[in-house]
Amino acid sequence: MSATAPIAVCLKWTPARLDGGPLGPDAADDRFAGISPADRAALELALRLADRLGTTVTAITAGPAGAERALRDALAAGAERAVRLDMATDADSRDVAFELAQSLADAAIVLCGDYSLDRGSGSVPAFVAHHRRIAQALGLVDIDVDTATAATVHATRRLDGGRRELLAIPLPCVLSVEGSLATLRRAPLPRALASRSAHIDVVATPPAHHHGAPAIVTAYRPRARVMPAPAGEVVLDRLRRLTDAGTAPSRGETVVLEPPAAAARIVDALREWGYLP
Amino acid sequence: MPETPDVDVIVVGAGPAGACASIELARAGLQVVLLERGPFPGSKNMYGGVVYPRILDELIPNWWDEAPVQRWVTRRSTMVLTPTQALTVDFRSTAWGAPPYNGATAYRPDFDHWLASHAEAAGAQVLCSTTVVGLLRDANGRVVGVRTDRPDGDLRARLVIACDGVNSFVAKEAGLHPPVDAANYTLGVKETLALPKEVIDERFGVRGREGVDIEILGGTGGVNGGGFVYTNLDTIAIGAVLKLPKLAAQKRRPEEIIAGLKAHPAIAPLVEGAELKEYSAHVIPEAGLAMMPKLTGDGLLVAGDAAAMCLAAGIWLEGVNFAMASGMYAGRAAIDAIRAGDVSTAGLAGYERRLSETFVLRDHRKLKRAPHLVLSDRVQHVYPELITSVAERMFRVDNPEPKPGLRRIVTSERKRLGIRRRDLARDGLDGFRSFG
Ligand SMILES: Cc1cc2nc3c(=O)[nH]c(=O)nc-3n(C[C@H](O)[C@H](O)[C@H](O)COP(=O)(O)OP(=O)(O)OC[C@H]3O[C@@H](n4cnc5c(N)ncnc54)[C@H](O)[C@@H]3O)c2cc1C
Repeated sequence: MSATAPIAVCLKWTPARLDGGPLGPDAADDRFAGISPADRAALELALRLADRLGTTVTAITAGPAGAERALRDALAAGAERAVRLDMATDADSRDVAFELAQSLADAAIVLCGDYSLDRGSGSVPAFVAHHRRIAQALGLVDIDVDTATAATVHATRRLDGGRRELLAIPLPCVLSVEGSLATLRRAPLPRALASRSAHIDVVATPPAHHHGAPAIVTAYRPRARVMPAPAGEVVLDRLRRLTDAGTAPSRGETVVLEPPAAAARIVDALREWGYLP
Repeated sequence: MPETPDVDVIVVGAGPAGACASIELARAGLQVVLLERGPFPGSKNMYGGVVYPRILDELIPNWWDEAPVQRWVTRRSTMVLTPTQALTVDFRSTAWGAPPYNGATAYRPDFDHWLASHAEAAGAQVLCSTTVVGLLRDANGRVVGVRTDRPDGDLRARLVIACDGVNSFVAKEAGLHPPVDAANYTLGVKETLALPKEVIDERFGVRGREGVDIEILGGTGGVNGGGFVYTNLDTIAIGAVLKLPKLAAQKRRPEEIIAGLKAHPAIAPLVEGAELKEYSAHVIPEAGLAMMPKLTGDGLLVAGDAAAMCLAAGIWLEGVNFAMASGMYAGRAAIDAIRAGDVSTAGLAGYERRLSETFVLRDHRKLKRAPHLVLSDRVQHVYPELITSVAERMFRVDNPEPKPGLRRIVTSERKRLGIRRRDLARDGLDGFRSFG
C-alpha cells in the first residue's frame, strides 16, 4: 500500500429521531438528518492525515440520495472524491461494511466515527477491517502517523480507570475515533459553493444479503428496570433510596473466570439488574 | 482594475423575500447565490402562523397543490377582550377551503424550505450555514459583494439583495436605515400547543383541513399590543405582539402575558389540556411606512422585513406575503438593471416603482396611520371596554326597564369611561381613513 493511496472516511447518514409527533421531525425528513460528531471528527482527522501524507481523502456513505448532503459537506471541507453506496439508512451493518470494503479496496487508512447517532454499535468499522483482512483499532482518542515511512499509525485508546493503551497499527488499517478528538474545520466559501454541484459517484448495491454471519436481532436499548416503590416516611428519604444518594457506593466486582463461565456470569448479572428478561 | 464579480446576484437570507427574489433571478438565467445562516431555509424562522400566498400565483401556478400547508383558513375572527368579557366578529367562508384558497396556516421551517427549493430548482445556488458579516464596496462606495463568516469568505456580485429580516445587518451597514427607534418595533411571542386533531376540530368548529385565524385586541395584560390564535393540524399557535417600550416600562415577561391570554375565559376552553411544544419570539417591524429605510443603494436592494415591509395593522398581521412580493419585485428590478448594465440607485428605480404600483406600498400608504392608531393607549386600554360594555348592555335584559337605544348606551358608556367626544371622533376618523 503506497503512502499516496487515498485515505477514506466513512460517514453514516442518520435520520432524525423517530419520536415524531407535532413539530417532531419525521424520520424520512432529511432536513433533520445528519452525521455524528464522531464522523465529523473522523473527517477532520482524515483531512489532516492526508495533508501530512500528501494524499487525498475519499468520503463515502451508504445511504439514500438525501445522504449526499453529508458528502457535499465533506467535499466542501476538503475531500477530493465522494461516493454514495445506494442503500437504505437502516441497512444491516454487515451489508454496509461489505459494500464499503469493496469500494474502499485501495484506501491506505479507513477512518470512521466510533459509533453513529442512531442504533450505533460501532460494528461497521470492525466488519470493514474483517472483509478487507486488514488491521483495525477502534474507539481511538489520539492518532499520529509516521510520515517518514507512512507505514504505521500510532494511536491511543481509552482503558478503564483513566489508563491509556498505546497502539502501533500497520497500514492499511481501519480506525474509528471518538467525537471529541477533533472539530471539523469550517469549509471555505469557494469550496462550499462548488460542492453544491460537485460530482458524486453513486454505486448501486445488491439487495441485502447479511455478509459473514447469520442475522441477529438485537434489542435497541436495555429495558428500563422495574423497581419497587421505595420505602420511607418523607419524600427526601424515598428519593435517597431511589437514587442511592448518601449511601456507600456499590463497588464493582472483579471476577476471574474462564471465558464461558465469564459470559454466563455477565448474563446472570444483567438478568439480576433487570436488563434481561 | 475592478475585480470581476463571481456571480450576478447575491441574495442574503432564505426567508420568503430571499426565496422569491432568487426564483425570479434564477428563472431569468442569472447566476444567483442565496446565502442563509441557518442549517436549512426556514430553520431559524418563526411567525404567528398564517400566510396569504395569493401573490404566489405569479411565481408558482397552483401552488396550493404542493405548498406544505397545515390548514386552509376558512374562519377569520376578531376578538375584543376585557378581563371578563369578549366580543367576537366571526366570518366563515367555505369558498376559502377550496382552490384558489385565501389563507393557510403553515410552519415556517416547512414553508420557507419549500419556497427555497423552488429557487434551487430554478438554478439558484442555495448555501446554508453561511452568515453574511459585511459588505464589500468599491472605491466609490458601491456595493460589490459580501463577506461571509467562512474562510476565504468574500463573494463578489453585480448586485446584492438584502432579505435578511427585521434586524437587517446588511441594510444597516449600507446606511439605508434611519437610526433605530425601539418604539417602531414590537416583540412577537408565541407558544405552540399540541392537541389531537379531533379536539381542535371540535373546539374551533372546523372539519378536515379547515382552519381558524383569530386576531385579538385586548388581553395583553395592559401592555399595548394584540394577540392571536391560529389552528394547525394538531397544534394551536397562541401568541401576542407587544409594543417594546411598554413591555420594558412595565417590566413584564412576555411569557406571563401569553399565560394571561391562555387563562382568559374566552380562550381557556380552546387551549385547555394542550401540551406546550415550543416557545419562540421574534421582533416585528411594526411601524410600516414610518420606519422604512431607503430601498435602494448603488449595487443594493432591500426587501421584506429588512425593508420594514411587514404590514402590522390591527386585524392584519401580514409579513410573509409582503416579503414574497417585495422579494419578487426586487428580483424583477434586478434583472432589468443587470440587463441594462446599470445597477446604480438610478438603474434600480424600477424596484420602488413596482412596489408603488402594487399592494406592497399602496397598502402601506393607505394604512400608514393604522399601526400607530391600533397601538395607541385609547384603542388598547379604553375602547375594548367601551365596545364590550356597549355589547353587554345591548344584550342584557333589564326588565322592567325598557330597552335603551344604541346611541344612549354609547353616550353613557363613553361618559362613564371618561372618553372625550373629540378624541373618539378623531380616532374614528383616523380609523375610517385607514380601514375605510
Ligand atoms: C410573532 C410573529 C408573528 C407573525 N405572524 C405573521 C403571520 O401570521 N402572517 C404573516 O404573514 N406574517 C407574520 N409575521 C411577520 C413575518 O414573519 C415576517 O414579515 C416575514 O417573515 C418576513 O420575511 P423576510 O423574508 O423578509 O424575513 P425573515 O423571514 O426574517 O427571513 C430572513 C432570513 O435571513 C436569514 N438571515 C438573517 N441575517 C442573515 C445573515 N447575516 N446572513 C445570512 N442569512 C441571514 C435568516 O436566517 C432568515 O432565514 C409575524 C412575525 C412575528 C415575529
